[in-house]
Amino acid sequence: MKILLIEDNRETADYVFQGLQEKGHTTSVIQDGREGLFRAASENWDILIVDRLLPGLDGLSLVHTLRGGGVKTPVLFLTALGGIDDRVSGLDAGGDDYLIKPFAFSELAARVNALGRRPRQTAAETVLKVADLEMDLLARNVRRAGVDVVLQPREFRLLEYLMRHAGQLVTRTMLLENVWDFHFDPRTNIVESHISRLRSKINKHGVELIHTIRGSGYSIRAPA
Amino acid sequence: MRLPRLFHTSSFRLTLLYAGIFSLSMLLLFGAVYWSTIGLMSRQIDGTVHNELIELQSATRDDSRAELQRVVNEYASRSPSFFYLLQDSNGRPLAGNLPPVKPELGLRVMSWSGQNPPPGLGNAAKGIRGYGTVIANGDYLFVGLSNVQLRRMRTSLDRVFLWSLIATLVLALLGGAAVSLGPLRRVEAISRASRDIMDGDLGRRIALRGSGDEFDHLASSLNAMLDRIQALMNGLRQMSSDVAHDLRTPLTLLRQRLETARSLGTNNVATLHAVFDKSIQDVDSILDTFGAVLRIAQIESGSRKAKFSRVDLSELVEGLAETYRAVAEEKGQRLVSDVEPGLPVEGDRELLHQLFANLIENAISHAPPGIIIAIRLSRGVNGIEVGISDTGPGIPEAHREKVFQRFYRLETSRASPGNGLGLSLAAAVAELHAASISLADNSPGLRVTVAFPA
Repeated sequence: MKILLIEDNRETADYVFQGLQEKGHTTSVIQDGREGLFRAASENWDILIVDRLLPGLDGLSLVHTLRGGGVKTPVLFLTALGGIDDRVSGLDAGGDDYLIKPFAFSELAARVNALGRRPRQTAAETVLKVADLEMDLLARNVRRAGVDVVLQPREFRLLEYLMRHAGQLVTRTMLLENVWDFHFDPRTNIVESHISRLRSKINKHGVELIHTIRGSGYSIRAPA
Repeated sequence: MRLPRLFHTSSFRLTLLYAGIFSLSMLLLFGAVYWSTIGLMSRQIDGTVHNELIELQSATRDDSRAELQRVVNEYASRSPSFFYLLQDSNGRPLAGNLPPVKPELGLRVMSWSGQNPPPGLGNAAKGIRGYGTVIANGDYLFVGLSNVQLRRMRTSLDRVFLWSLIATLVLALLGGAAVSLGPLRRVEAISRASRDIMDGDLGRRIALRGSGDEFDHLASSLNAMLDRIQALMNGLRQMSSDVAHDLRTPLTLLRQRLETARSLGTNNVATLHAVFDKSIQDVDSILDTFGAVLRIAQIESGSRKAKFSRVDLSELVEGLAETYRAVAEEKGQRLVSDVEPGLPVEGDRELLHQLFANLIENAISHAPPGIIIAIRLSRGVNGIEVGISDTGPGIPEAHREKVFQRFYRLETSRASPGNGLGLSLAAAVAELHAASISLADNSPGLRVTVAFPA
């Protein structure tokens, strides 16, 4: 993917740049907000990674201006530790996701993948499918190998999120934010507990589809 | 107290303004009195002399000059308060008790100021008000009265006015000073206290008089503000020393571990990776503590209050109960909930979410398997109450208040994960929402109640 990273901290920029290159993304780094806005608007990018605090023009205004000009490139905000208002203001300005610094690179990579492959227009998908697991979003039911699987509302949302990102790594934090609306780190293993319940329900009639990526998260995919 | 300060007080200036307005109205009133009194007296004199002139003319038996001379002289000798003059057209005096004058017709005032007033006039030389006329043969006839009374009245009115003006101004100044002095003293006391506080005497407060007047109100508001600032500052001071203290141990351990890793060299890659993983974990937990501290500080600053909106507490609590039921069951605990539907509060959804998540997590992680955790949301007489109770070991009464302090951890829970900030954060969120949070004995176990005011 072609990624524009707008980050003024040299070390963070190098760290992210290095990691993204290794993952095979073409990345450009800009350190100034105004120049970042110019580059973001004048070229085609798959993803913009924007720091909140930038010289020249802050990240919020940058994204706000971009959105005002009709640029719909997905934006991942990087925000400083402890800013509890940052998430909401970032999303309000037109950001698609946010990540609190410092972060593990695997977390950033997972989010970049999720954003990059997100369909540009919300596709009117009504059935999600992974191997013999089928989810009907309209009827709100799940079938494994043709057999109905009864899920609780939260389990349904969890499975839906995994299936929408089938084949991708979905981190624990992504699940907490999107399935539980938890914007803080709980001290108990909520995700693990619910995943294990979900597994026991959908694996009754087939092989394991939800794979644990050690230390990173989960991924749902058809067996090779 | 220096006098110039007094003149600069607003109440004194106000008094001066009132004194000015009062003096002006006095001036107007006096003008009206003066004008009407003097006017009345003048008209009386004018009427009297005019009548005397007519009476005198009608007293003559024929139109001869000699007859008029006789009558004028007779009148002049008979009524000493009047003054008469008859002179021919050349200005020679013919009769009366006045020296000759320039013949002017109608109402006139004569006066002989200077060194040699004509003899026999006395006081009247200063002013005679009268009426002059020319009769048929061309002679000039004048009848007048001394206007000494008029002048006396004028002088006395002037004096009365002057004295009352002086008295008014003096009284206004004294009154203004008296009125301003009290407030000025109170304001001085307040600014003295502020200066003391600025100079570092942070415990200083403004004394109240106890009269409940506006200055007492102001002083008590200021004192309350100072209390709040001091509490925040103490909190901050406590917080920074707590943070420093709490982070010293993990940072020391981290340093030791990194040093060991360095001495390991590159031969033992597996061990090296394990050390790195553990170090990253340590750093994450330190960052976690920092994040929580910053979050608490932000919550305590109260700025989130501006973003309050209506939150469906029932839905929020029910959602959390559902979320944590799976976690509790995995630990061999049972989680039951009894949530009255449709109970709203004004608040910050995200923070309330974290508040109740923290409380439920505390119950789950500090209690052993086999216990029951009960979550209850109901509307009581005092507002909306959320109760989270467990049948675990509970908290000894002596420790119940302390657990809300930052980094405070019971000896029994040192081993379990957490940074000792969960309940501090819960308390900060509750306070932001004006909710009370209390711990009670569930016998056995602990019951935490968060009560939102109605």
